[in-house]
Amino acid sequence: MRLMIVLAAVPVAVVLHLEATSLVPLLIVVGLTVLTVLMPGSAGPALLIGYAALAMAFADGHPVRLGVLIMIPALHLIHVTSALAAVVPVKTRIELAALKAPARRFAIVQVITFVVAAFAAVIPSGAGIGLVEVLGLGALTVVIGVVALRI
Amino acid sequence: MSSADKIREAFSQAHGAHWHPTDAYSRAVWLGVGLVVAGMFLHQPELVLFGVPLVLSVLLTSKPRGKPAVSVRPVPRGAGAGVVHTVAHVDGADAEIAVVKLPGGARAIPAHSPDLPVQIRRDAWGPGVDLRLDHLFAGPDGLHVYGPVVGVEHVRTILPPVEHHPSGPLPPRPAGLVGIHRSPRAGDSTELRDIRAFQPGDRLRRIDWRVTTRTGVVHVRERHAEADAEIVLALDTRADVGAEVAEWSSPRYGATARPGGSLDRAVRRAASMAAGYLRQGDRVALVDLSRPQLNVRSGVGRRHLLRIRTQLVVCVQAAGWSSHVALRRLPHGSVVVLLSPFLDDEIAELAVQTRRHGHVVLAINTLPLELVPDPESAWGEVAAELIAAEHRVRLRRMAEHGVAVTRSC
Repeated sequence: MRLMIVLAAVPVAVVLHLEATSLVPLLIVVGLTVLTVLMPGSAGPALLIGYAALAMAFADGHPVRLGVLIMIPALHLIHVTSALAAVVPVKTRIELAALKAPARRFAIVQVITFVVAAFAAVIPSGAGIGLVEVLGLGALTVVIGVVALRI
Repeated sequence: MSSADKIREAFSQAHGAHWHPTDAYSRAVWLGVGLVVAGMFLHQPELVLFGVPLVLSVLLTSKPRGKPAVSVRPVPRGAGAGVVHTVAHVDGADAEIAVVKLPGGARAIPAHSPDLPVQIRRDAWGPGVDLRLDHLFAGPDGLHVYGPVVGVEHVRTILPPVEHHPSGPLPPRPAGLVGIHRSPRAGDSTELRDIRAFQPGDRLRRIDWRVTTRTGVVHVRERHAEADAEIVLALDTRADVGAEVAEWSSPRYGATARPGGSLDRAVRRAASMAAGYLRQGDRVALVDLSRPQLNVRSGVGRRHLLRIRTQLVVCVQAAGWSSHVALRRLPHGSVVVLLSPFLDDEIAELAVQTRRHGHVVLAINTLPLELVPDPESAWGEVAAELIAAEHRVRLRRMAEHGVAVTRSC
C-alpha cells in the first residue's frame, strides 16, 4: 500500500516539476511523500495534497489543463492509499479482493469529478461572476449539513 | 473533569472496540471542503476540482454500524505437538476490510470473506499460547475503523512426548518382590488369571485347546501381569542447564524449559520411562526432589501416565533453585530413577543414602556433554573443565557406592 502512495506521488512530482522553474517544488513533494509513506496516519498526506493543489492553482495556464487532469486522480489516489495504509500494518499481505470495493468507489468518484471538470471547462472564468460564489456557498451548506448529520 | 482526564478520554475514543473516524476522515472533510470553498472564493477552479474527490469520498460512504468480530474454532483437545489446523470465522458486520494478525503474518481480507484456515505450530512441550488473533476492521476507504482489538488468547498445554523404548535396556526390577502385590491386570507371567472366550487380538499360542475342544468355542488362557515393582522417578528441577556454560546464568524466553537442556532431557526421559514401565504393568510414582508437594503417588494404567506427564509440566513450571533435596516415604524395595545433572554433592549424597536404604538406584545424568566453555572469558575453558572433572568424580563415587550410573541420556 505504501508503494501505491509512491506510485501515485510520481505523476504529482513530475507535473509540478514540469510546471515549475526550480527544483524546490520537486524537493518539497519528495519530502512530503517520504513523510506520507513513513507515517500515512500523520498530516503528511494532507500537506502533500494541499501543497500540490495550491501549487497547481496558482501556476499559469488554463484551469482545466492536462496537468490538472492528471493531478486529480493522483491526489485522490494518494488520499485513498494513505487512508488504507494508515489502518493496515506494515508487511501485511493484502488480498486483491479486499481492494475491489475501494477501487470501484474510486472509479465512481473520478467519473463524477471529471463531469465537474468538463462543466468547469465550459463555464466562463473571471472574478466578476457573483453567481459562482452563491453556488459555492449553497454547495458548502449542503456538504456541511450532510457531513454533520453523518457524524 | 480535569485536563488529564479529557486527554485520556480523547485517546481512548481514538482506538478500541468501537467505530471511530480516522485521520483520513478529518482530512477528507476539512481539506476537501477547504479546497472547494477556497476555489470558489479565489476563482480557482483547480482547487475545486482537487477538493471534489475528497468531499465525494465522504459523501459516498457512511459510518459503519454493528460489531464485527473474529472467532476461532477451538483446537481439538487431543491434538498434540506438530502442526495443528483450525479455522477463523470473520464476521465483518458493516466493515469493508478486515486485518487479522495470523500466525504467518497479518492479512488484509474482505470483511465478508469465508472462514480463514489457520495453521498453528506447536514446537515445544509445556504450556503456551496457541493463538491470539488481534484484528482491526476498516470501513469504506479506511475513513472509519473498528479496533485494533486484542484477540482472545487460546492457551494450551502440550504434554512431554513419549518415546517408546524396547523393554531390554530398562533397569532390572527388584528381586523377590515381583508377585507379592499381584496386579489385577492381564499380562505375561506364568500364573493363570482366567480362561475366557477368544477375542480379536488374542495370541494364538494362548488358546487353551482342552477347553476349546470340550466347549466347541475357542478359549484362551489369561495370565497375571508381573506388575509389582514400584518405580520412583525422581526429578531434580533445581537447575536447567545446557551444554554452553556461558548460558547457564542467563534467563530463557519462549519455552518452559531450555530446549535440549538438562530439564528438557530429564522430563522427556521421565515421560518415556514412565510409559515404558506402565506399559509393562509396573507401578510408577513421580517425585520432585525440591518440591515434595508436587509428587505423584504410584499408580498404573494409561490415565496414570497422563497424570505423570501433566505433573511433569507442573514441576517444570515451578522449577527453580531450592536449598535442599529430599526423597522421603519410598516404598520398600523400590527402584529409584534419579534424573539430575548432578552439579552438586547434595544430590550425589542423596543417591548414595537411598542406595544404602536398600533401594535400587539408577542415576541418569541429564547434563549435556561435552560442555562448551565461555568463549568471552579467559577462564572459560578452565571453569568448564573444572565443572566437568567434578561431575566425573561425582558420578564415579556414586558408582562405587552401588548406584547404577548412566553418563548420558
